[in-house]
Amino acid sequence: MTAAVLPALSNLSTLPAAFQASEVNYVAVMPLFIVFVTALIGVLVEAFMPRERRHRVQVSVAVGGLLAAAVSIFWASSNLGLTMGLSDGSTNRSLFALAIDGPALFLQGAILLMGILGVLTMAERFGGVGPDAFTPSGASTPGSPVETAATRAGALTSEVFPLTVFAIFGMMLFPTTNDLIGMFVALEVLSLPLYILTGLARRRRLLSQEASLKYFLLGAFSSAFFLFGTALLYGYAGSVYFGDLSSAISTAPLAMNGLLLPGAFLVFVGLLFKVGAVPFHAWTPDVYQGAPTPVTGFMAACTKAAAFGAILRLAYVGLDTARWEWSNALVIVALLTMVVGSVLSVTQTDMKRLLAYSSIAHAGFILVGVLAFDRTGVGAVLFYIVAYGFSTIAAFAIVSLVRQNGAEATHLSQWAGLGKAHPVAASAFAFLMLAFAGIPLTSGFVSKFAVFSAAVGSGATGTVLAVVGVLCSAITVFVYARVIVLMFFSEAPAEKVEVVTPSAMTTFSIAIGTLTTLALGVVPASLLDLADRASQFVR
Amino acid sequence: MNSYVPILFMLGLGFAFAALSVFTSLVVGPKRYNRAKLEAYECGIQPTPQAAGGGRVPIKYYLTAMLFIIFDIESVFLYPFAVAFNKLGLFALVEMVLFILTVFIAYAYVWRRGGLEWD
Amino acid sequence: MTSSAEAAGFWILAPIAVIAALGLLFARKAVHAALGVALVMVILGIFYIMQNADFLGVVQVFVYTGAVMMLFLFVLMLVGVDSSDSVVETIKGQRWASLLLVVGLAGLLFFTIGATVVDEKTVQAGIDKVVATNADPGNITGVAELIFGQYVWIFEVTSALLITAALGAMVLAHRERLTPRITQAEWAAKRVRDNRDVAGLPAPGVYARHNAVDTPALLPDGTPSSKSVSRVLVARDQVATTDSLRDVERHMEREIEEGGAK
Repeated sequence: MTAAVLPALSNLSTLPAAFQASEVNYVAVMPLFIVFVTALIGVLVEAFMPRERRHRVQVSVAVGGLLAAAVSIFWASSNLGLTMGLSDGSTNRSLFALAIDGPALFLQGAILLMGILGVLTMAERFGGVGPDAFTPSGASTPGSPVETAATRAGALTSEVFPLTVFAIFGMMLFPTTNDLIGMFVALEVLSLPLYILTGLARRRRLLSQEASLKYFLLGAFSSAFFLFGTALLYGYAGSVYFGDLSSAISTAPLAMNGLLLPGAFLVFVGLLFKVGAVPFHAWTPDVYQGAPTPVTGFMAACTKAAAFGAILRLAYVGLDTARWEWSNALVIVALLTMVVGSVLSVTQTDMKRLLAYSSIAHAGFILVGVLAFDRTGVGAVLFYIVAYGFSTIAAFAIVSLVRQNGAEATHLSQWAGLGKAHPVAASAFAFLMLAFAGIPLTSGFVSKFAVFSAAVGSGATGTVLAVVGVLCSAITVFVYARVIVLMFFSEAPAEKVEVVTPSAMTTFSIAIGTLTTLALGVVPASLLDLADRASQFVR
Repeated sequence: MNSYVPILFMLGLGFAFAALSVFTSLVVGPKRYNRAKLEAYECGIQPTPQAAGGGRVPIKYYLTAMLFIIFDIESVFLYPFAVAFNKLGLFALVEMVLFILTVFIAYAYVWRRGGLEWD
Repeated sequence: MTSSAEAAGFWILAPIAVIAALGLLFARKAVHAALGVALVMVILGIFYIMQNADFLGVVQVFVYTGAVMMLFLFVLMLVGVDSSDSVVETIKGQRWASLLLVVGLAGLLFFTIGATVVDEKTVQAGIDKVVATNADPGNITGVAELIFGQYVWIFEVTSALLITAALGAMVLAHRERLTPRITQAEWAAKRVRDNRDVAGLPAPGVYARHNAVDTPALLPDGTPSSKSVSRVLVARDQVATTDSLRDVERHMEREIEEGGAK
């Protein structure tokens, strides 16, 4: 017994005799640093820049900073390894907070690029001063004279840009952290700005505030689950580092499993909540509907990328040695997510809710890739995240353009006949729908093919998952086809619905999103190759 | 653990004093009640009634309290830093200065945007 | 494993903490619920101290009970102590279904975690290590060495959370002033210029029991002056009527006379 528990004993955080400072590889963490500093500059701009110039400066700071961070990933990629911590000589353990490896840097890059598109769609003002997506005065009562006065004075909540950059910082950190505490802090850093952003819609503010409150309460609840799980896993392994956790699992006595299993499940609950997997999906439709549409697009793409990165790291680095204990539960979650997401998307009548349920179904498909448990699975998940992210940002950007009397027309009936009046926007949207459905020559097909073939290659369970996945894809094809038929073959509603002409920024986002969807469908090889090369975790 | 015994003792003393004062005034004090005397504040000022229709109340205090918590947490980190200052060396000093600067950016923002003014 | 003093402290305080936590769920008044949470937080702080984490225990009381709970309480005071949630179920049977699931989850966690056999020696080694750390570099120094040593990155990232909190509080709770602020001197100048209420508005009425801002003063002819109460109170329908106040005044004079006669 004593020999068996020795690893757990040696893991108990020891203090070196003399204080030992962290080793930092500054090049490897440069992308994170740049994004953090960008956010700080954004806050300073909020503080000292006069109101008229704030919006433009904020957008340039955010986009410039994110671009610089994206470029710095090239240098970081030649500095792979663990950093931001110290090696404990006495027990020969490495206590590092960050794991700069292929999946981490790939996801950081993906989140940065999708984040830039997200910021550009958030910056849309349709040429005027008023009609951006965000309320002029978040503290005023909806419909009150104060709100009207703020609108008239041309007030803008330009805090959304530093908040978004903070969220991007947290998202980049989430798949990079190498310990449970760091993962929790990253989870909060990415969530808090999203809770705030969700409540800042310009129109239908009560719905937006309700969505924000729901997201906050349920998010706080899931964070509590994550923390509870962290505490149990710490009790099990005597350490919060994934490396220690993994080695403790292979050496600790079976009698301790009463801490391991609940701990692992609770931590997974916290992460699965963020990707909107069933049964932790209840917030998704309400939040996607209530949040300002550009925020929804950003959130759908980037949060999913970050959270799946964290799930990958936990499943492949931290809890890999206990895979047989928890993988069945995740299989059930994946099955439920695919089935519930695709079946409920059939009944939706609101475009944003439809896309929300579609994102739930996609979360299920990505989980199938996670459950392949080999490098092809990791590569497929990374590819899927990028493909889905770019398509979804473009899709939500188009949703924000379709308007009736100045307000977003999100009811499906309002989209009838859109293809005749506005063929370009409707065709782009139809193409994105085909990508979501997984039709060949779109990125959706390649990504689904990648995750399902990785799943089939992993064994019988994977094959079952892949078969269910294909069946669910068939259900979603019906949903998306219905939208396309509605747009091109139905009569337009009596009251005119128009597609507002966007500025260059949103046009750029939509174009890049749609073209990426096409390019990854026609010539996916280079990104697939990159994702495959980036699929190795460091420990 | 023993260093907490005086605190426990003080706590007990505090409770005892409070209980004794209440009890003594209960026994010794004269009791002549009228309606004004039974009101919450015995000075003629009514506790603010709920606005008709459950009206909204501006929660300015929330901002002040939130800012207090932010700098409260900052000071929580300052305390161990100050205690262990001699052992930590230059790296920790730089880290702490960066941390304080970072949080002060938030302070600058709140101050410039009028978050510290009450109305 | 644990000293008998610690065990005794635990078994006395833990039930109180559980009762206080249940009070949060079942208290009808929001203030009582908040006080229940405050009690839980204090007891948690005591637990930390009992487990040799002195600094953590003090910080727990300092931050949670001192700051966070006071925030809760004062916001509750401002929003109104009376306000309580509507408990109408929007989905039928939701309450029972969720209760069933909660009991199931709690039972599952209880039995799996309860079945864990923890090696006494490992635990004792951990406690010894903490005691040794508290003795040699000291508890707070030990915490400092962790925060500024291996966890320094997490410490720095915490500042992002703090800034986000400040941004969020400002965005959601601070109304930016869009018009320049009118100073007292400008108000005075305006009064003189308009030649209206040059001496300032009349003060609220002072009665035997009421001198609050919601009671209008009486004009020489006995009618209440609308200028003596804030228009905000008028808009909220919170102005007291003077008739009842004068009745009360007469009533009180009688009461005092009777009291004097006794």
